[in-house]
Amino acid sequence: MSDPLFEVRFSGVRKAFGNAVAVRDLDLTIAGGEFVALLGPSGCGKTTTLRMLAGLEFPTEGAISIGGRVVNAVAPGARDIAMVFQSYALYPHMTVAQNIAYPLRKRGVAKAERALRVQQVADTLQLTALLERRPRQLSGGQQQRVALGRALVRDPRVFLLDEPLSNLDAKLRSHMRAELIELHRRIRRTFVYVTHDQLEAMTMSDRIAVMHEGALQQFGTPAEVYNQPANLFVAGFIGAPAMTLLHGALREGAFSHPAITLPLSGPALTPTLVLGIRPEDVVLGEGPCVGRIRLVEPTGHEQIVALDLPGGDSLTVRAAPDAPLRAGEAVAWSVRPQRLHLFDASNGQRLAATMTEASA
Amino acid sequence: MRRSLLGGIAFNLLAWTMVFIVAFPLVWMVITSVKPQFELFRIPPTFWPEQVTFEHYARLLFETPFLTYMRNSLLLSTTTTILVVAVATLGAHSLVRFRYRGREALAQLVLFTYLLPSVVLLLPLYLMMVWIGVANSLFSLVIAYTTFALPYALWLLRSFMQGIPEDLESAALVDGATRMEAFFDVILPQALPGIISTCLFTFILSWNEYLYALVLVNTDAVRPLTTGVMSMLVSAFNIEWSLLMAASVMMSIPLIIIFAFLQKFLTQGFGAGGVKG
Repeated sequence: MSDPLFEVRFSGVRKAFGNAVAVRDLDLTIAGGEFVALLGPSGCGKTTTLRMLAGLEFPTEGAISIGGRVVNAVAPGARDIAMVFQSYALYPHMTVAQNIAYPLRKRGVAKAERALRVQQVADTLQLTALLERRPRQLSGGQQQRVALGRALVRDPRVFLLDEPLSNLDAKLRSHMRAELIELHRRIRRTFVYVTHDQLEAMTMSDRIAVMHEGALQQFGTPAEVYNQPANLFVAGFIGAPAMTLLHGALREGAFSHPAITLPLSGPALTPTLVLGIRPEDVVLGEGPCVGRIRLVEPTGHEQIVALDLPGGDSLTVRAAPDAPLRAGEAVAWSVRPQRLHLFDASNGQRLAATMTEASA
Repeated sequence: MRRSLLGGIAFNLLAWTMVFIVAFPLVWMVITSVKPQFELFRIPPTFWPEQVTFEHYARLLFETPFLTYMRNSLLLSTTTTILVVAVATLGAHSLVRFRYRGREALAQLVLFTYLLPSVVLLLPLYLMMVWIGVANSLFSLVIAYTTFALPYALWLLRSFMQGIPEDLESAALVDGATRMEAFFDVILPQALPGIISTCLFTFILSWNEYLYALVLVNTDAVRPLTTGVMSMLVSAFNIEWSLLMAASVMMSIPLIIIFAFLQKFLTQGFGAGGVKG
């Protein structure tokens, strides 16, 4: 299934701008034909990583290879990649047809062949009627398609996409998301997709590389990243509304917090712990724990509830849309112990532990 | 409504007064150039010439080195413009795109020449020209003009280049262009308005320059129009007004032609950095 020709590998890659380190010790292997999202907040190094892969920045240390060949010293144009920029970067003085044909022209493809391939790409992306227009005469969505067309036209090994949907409105964005998934399934090339939008990363990618402060935090499938976050950063970053993180201590073989006590067993438990509870893993209305409702936000298909807990923490809960909840009321709650997450408070790493029924 | 009407009239009045003030000397120049010599000093003066003559133009063209001066000026201004714009375009691109030590310092150092009055640079430049053996040649003027046209051109083009998104160049590189190809295919077309206004600026500067031409060059064969016409027609005893005005008219013609065609680029150039086009 995965084609080694299209494989991308970062080995010990580091990138510093003067004293500022943008990417540190990156080891990442993206299988050929895989759709991988580089996800993280702004300034986390994801765009620098992509630009290094494109050849627009040079790694300070380490090796980058595409299809098994180290490309550190290879010019961007010779790497057999295509890139879609956040700004689209269409050449304003060229028509749509000339824009799409430009990569072919630079590769010495004959004129007749060029026209044919531009026509094919235009057909696929429904751009045929726009071929003679200039970029500024197009809407944002159309410009996006042209940028995609310019990438598609020469059938590269790897597609690099730098937040390509962030300038589109919400409706068009979800439409283009579906189109990109469809496109990837059809052409089976490696896609590296930079985004800060976890919804895009979760819905589109085969695997997600979560980055923070220049370091790779976790590399796994959307389900892995969501269900087994490797550390506190990933736990807090993935999921909306965010996971609640309760700081507690290990006391008599249990996680101890003013609001909840949770017996646990596992190797290498540390004295200070953080318990992660996703909003959907809380059961309201019954159970040993108590809280006071501070805020109820109905979204239509559910209610997002903020609970004030004993000890001063706040707990976010997803509740059914018809649950009778009112701000100011006290409410009992419990958790699904097998769905909880435990972290070492000292270094933020995930701990393997078995948890059983909670008590207050 | 009434107020805006009055305001409009006042504005127009002011504008036309200014146009008149600026234009009158030019009109007077043209009129004087076609009056016969004897009519110039008549009292009371006549506004419209009683007799229109082109004898001054003919004399200039056929009996004086005016055409040599014209050729020198054209050659000088064109060469300077090409040199300055070529260097400034590449330099501005480098200052905007590449990261290297001392980049900002370099850009500001270039402006340093502007802090000095040109008279201060005159003597050192003259001595340098003598020393490298190019004194009294058109080439020495090309170098001199370049020294003071280049800083401004560099900064003008820099602000233009800053308005060109870096992504465009990156896209061209990824699409398979070399650095040079990306520059010519993508950057240059985008910077064209800036390049044209820089050309205009440099050309006008070289065309009108007087001081350096006066000092660095002193033979008729290499004099440009500005100093050539002055030394030919203005002497301690006599100023040949008719010829001088005819020469002035002919000196203005190339600039008027250039302006007529490229005016919109010039105003665009002076607005660069303020509003993006």
